Amino acid sequence: MTRIIEIPQSFDDRTFDQFAGMFGDWPPQERLLFDARGAQWASPYGLIAMLTAAQALSEAGAERPLFTAPLNDEVKRYWARTGFFRHAADFFEIHGRIPKAAEGPSDTLLDVTPIRAMDDVHKVVGDVPERAAKILQDQLNIRASETMRFSMALSEACQNIVEHSGTGGWVAVQAYTWRRRLGKRVVVIAVSDGGIGFRRSLEPAHAKRYGERWGDGAALEAGLIQNVSRFRDPGRGQGIASIKRSVDHWNGKISIRSGTARLAIVPPWDDDAPLAEHLPFFPGAQVQITIPAKDAPA
Amino acid sequence: MIETFRLHQLLRETVSAPYRCLVTRPTGAAIRSRIEEALADSACITALLDFAEVEVIDFSCADEVIAKLVLAQHTSSGPYVVLQGLTEPQLEAVEHVLNHRRLAVAALREQPARPALLGCADDDTRQAFTTLCEDGATDPDSLASRIGWSRERAAAALEMLTSLRLARFLDGTVRPVPVP
Repeated sequence: MTRIIEIPQSFDDRTFDQFAGMFGDWPPQERLLFDARGAQWASPYGLIAMLTAAQALSEAGAERPLFTAPLNDEVKRYWARTGFFRHAADFFEIHGRIPKAAEGPSDTLLDVTPIRAMDDVHKVVGDVPERAAKILQDQLNIRASETMRFSMALSEACQNIVEHSGTGGWVAVQAYTWRRRLGKRVVVIAVSDGGIGFRRSLEPAHAKRYGERWGDGAALEAGLIQNVSRFRDPGRGQGIASIKRSVDHWNGKISIRSGTARLAIVPPWDDDAPLAEHLPFFPGAQVQITIPAKDAPA
Repeated sequence: MIETFRLHQLLRETVSAPYRCLVTRPTGAAIRSRIEEALADSACITALLDFAEVEVIDFSCADEVIAKLVLAQHTSSGPYVVLQGLTEPQLEAVEHVLNHRRLAVAALREQPARPALLGCADDDTRQAFTTLCEDGATDPDSLASRIGWSRERAAAALEMLTSLRLARFLDGTVRPVPVP
């Protein structure tokens, strides 16, 4: 028997719970078919969510899932250009014609990239600055000198995968326009893994303090708000703190989903709930950092 | 005597890829370990960490390289750590990790030419540091008369400078750490 995982028509952080809800108990016992035929668009968060799920299934020993590609040629070309299909081929049995990845300029700041070891973090951070400086300056009115802040946030977000997830993960960064939500250009950094998640990572050192409140939501609060780490070294936990400071500096947003909860630091321009609990389970942790364009100087 | 460590070069020797970004804890720990090995065989008074040509330094790496090196030299009474060649955004990251661990360090900047105090120090300690860098060796009486403080206040500030290892006590006076 096959379980259908219907990819949302517009797949981003807002439709992620719909996607996560289709898996049922984790790991699902049936073979899965990821049906993306009706997909019209996917954010970096959506693209790496599919890869995270497939990787987690593979690590759980599940049968290789099937994947039906979007019918829309433009969507397919775009997904190919981000590198999605190149990695998807390692985890899915893909059905449908896949275009070759097109070369040339795009608004992809960083293609879909696996993060498996610290060397991958070096490569990601080392490759990004020049392109990031141009996009931040030209599209977001953020000074080129802010590129280091951006690189630091990217570095810390990716390192968390290697240090805490117990497995590998994915990162993608892209600039695009949020017409309905903000009416501006944004850069979105999406980082995801299908590993142990915040609760299991922090449980040995911090669960006792929370007593019965301990769960995915409390673990996210400990990690994101209180900057605690599973390590006893007092210098730890500063990675997320530094990301938060940069996000605040940019009037941006950070949202982390782990297990059955999602916690966000919500800027005035967004109407997301700061904490959502009892969501459909999804393994690991999914981080989205959103940096909106600054208003151009008059 | 000053021993200079070029972080860009150490990075190239530590990470195989040709990047100029000091990122990740393992990279920071590996670089610190190389510096500590070199310092173990050195009679230098100042370990000068030169960040020229380093593009990015993240918090995790700054914590491993700088904060832990400063901590280790505090514990072992090893050489004084001084930084140079940091850009403004890098200074911000370094200052953050030092503040978090309640540490301080001297940093050489192009403008102004004198060392700056980075990290966790109160106003008196900062003023005493600035005066010491401008005037050279001092003692509580001289500092008190120079700034118009009481002797006790000047003595407390100088004691804080030496305990933070931003200055050294030698032959009855407090002296600036040797820098180029």
